[in-house]
Amino acid sequence: MMSRLDEVSRALRRDVVEMVYRTKDGHPSPSFSVADIITALYFEIMRIDPANPDWDDRDRFVLSKGHACPILYAALARRGFFAKEELFTLRHLNSILQGHPYAPKTPGLDATTGSLGNGVSVALGMALSAKIRKKAYQVYVIVGDGELGEGMIWEAAMAAAHHKMGNLTVFIDNNNYQSGGMVGKISGPSPIDEKWKAFGWHVQTVDGHDIDAIIAAVKSAHGVTGQPSAIVCKTVKGNGVSFMVGENSWHKRVYTDAEYRVAIEELGGVV
Amino acid sequence: MSEVSSTRIGFRDAMVTLAGEREEVVFISTDSILVVRGEPFFEHFPERVIELGISEQNGVGVASGLASSGMVPYICTYAGFLTMRACEQMRTFVSYPNLKVRFVGANGGLHGGNREGVSHQFTEDVGILRGMPNFTILCPADGAQVYEAMLASADIEGPVYIRIGSGREERVFADGTPFEIGKIRVMVDNGNDVALFAHGFVLNRVLEAARLLKEKGIGAKVVEVATIKPLDGEGIASILRATGCAVTIEDHTIINGLGSAIAEVIAEESQGYLVRLGLQDVYGESGFPDELLDAYGMSVHDIVAAATRAMEKKHQ
Repeated sequence: MMSRLDEVSRALRRDVVEMVYRTKDGHPSPSFSVADIITALYFEIMRIDPANPDWDDRDRFVLSKGHACPILYAALARRGFFAKEELFTLRHLNSILQGHPYAPKTPGLDATTGSLGNGVSVALGMALSAKIRKKAYQVYVIVGDGELGEGMIWEAAMAAAHHKMGNLTVFIDNNNYQSGGMVGKISGPSPIDEKWKAFGWHVQTVDGHDIDAIIAAVKSAHGVTGQPSAIVCKTVKGNGVSFMVGENSWHKRVYTDAEYRVAIEELGGVV
Repeated sequence: MSEVSSTRIGFRDAMVTLAGEREEVVFISTDSILVVRGEPFFEHFPERVIELGISEQNGVGVASGLASSGMVPYICTYAGFLTMRACEQMRTFVSYPNLKVRFVGANGGLHGGNREGVSHQFTEDVGILRGMPNFTILCPADGAQVYEAMLASADIEGPVYIRIGSGREERVFADGTPFEIGKIRVMVDNGNDVALFAHGFVLNRVLEAARLLKEKGIGAKVVEVATIKPLDGEGIASILRATGCAVTIEDHTIINGLGSAIAEVIAEESQGYLVRLGLQDVYGESGFPDELLDAYGMSVHDIVAAATRAMEKKHQ
């Protein structure tokens, strides 16, 4: 029997299918590989208040791989930060949902991102603010494995360890694909866990589609003080819809009517 | 005998003042705090120095995160390491979300970079930032004016860029002279023959040129344009309506900086003839500051000659 959070995660994926199908744009499969991490964060881990999105003591989240924002928008809508109907304005003129995350327009969104490689630095700034102001909040970031090619990630990794940022956790969405194909063929981030360890981080590796395992890893990270945490999430790009797995064109592609029906049904929905 | 001031010390002293008054003020150093003799700040506010090492892109990203969670970060290092190396971070992560981050760029111009040579002489910074919405861009003329500009800009909600130099700038203004954001300042008004628009560490030369022009019977106005953005277009246009011709003098490429800004006002709001002094689409080289300004067309003689040329164009 499927858990409550697994149901949520499937519902978020269905929302993404619906968004991409109806608005004819967006990045579906990068959204699916982080769907379970986003679910763990927004429906279990993070202390947030949809009625008060700017609450100063809230936990913060930065989607460094900003192109996966459809799944984040779906999570924010289902948490009640804005009406679900807004999802279907994605990438349209006057929408509160930009093609890549733009914090000033979207309630509940903590960071503007989209250009890869920047999120860990932004999150480090948020974490440093908590440290200076003696706030108890946590800061979470998701980076892609392809994104690890950006040098700025490693500038931030070095600085965060140097500053002993125990309130900062980075999830690496290790789905083995980037826009142009297999990560291992295009760039060479492996071994990912050893790199973060060498930069001074506490490192765990989990199944990125096992929500309980993700939650357990975050709790374990909270127990580590004086050191930032990296959680390498082994994920599958397109996870949840059979025809999207292993087919990298779904990095950015629009569903046909037939594909839409199959995707929704595979995700437990009704067309 | 001219008196030396220091834009770097002006910045440092303003940081101490601001941090004393505002607990949200922090100093981001990318191994740059000693560049501005920041030891007194560190002694008074050690917990408000964030040292990130040599990583300017990271520094601007961190500034974005700090500014979006209750702090007002000031990041100071060499102008080009901000506006060029971290250009995209300044745009997408600060300017676009309109965050309250202050950028202080050292070694502005040939004068600022002087003997270091081109890698440390920044003559494109103002032009790069002019195209970014939300930015306030300030080019004060000396150390005391940097101090005043820092205080005057403290409450601006969006990003601010303040250009400073090497720390060896000639004093132009008396201590305590206010810095008014968004307004031109007519420093000398000898008549309506020609307007001399300038900012930064060449202003002393422009004042001297105006004096020499007066000796020749030419009435020049010296107009400081220390705020490049938002530009005081109406103030500039009214000067141009009176003089009908102008010279711009900037220690910056003549493309996209002050000269371009004045040309835009002439084209849209006024009329007149313009001669632009500054780097003529070339790079500089190593040398002593005054030597460099002389060699690259910003000598007092060059300014006088340019004023004459602008007037000739007007009378053709």
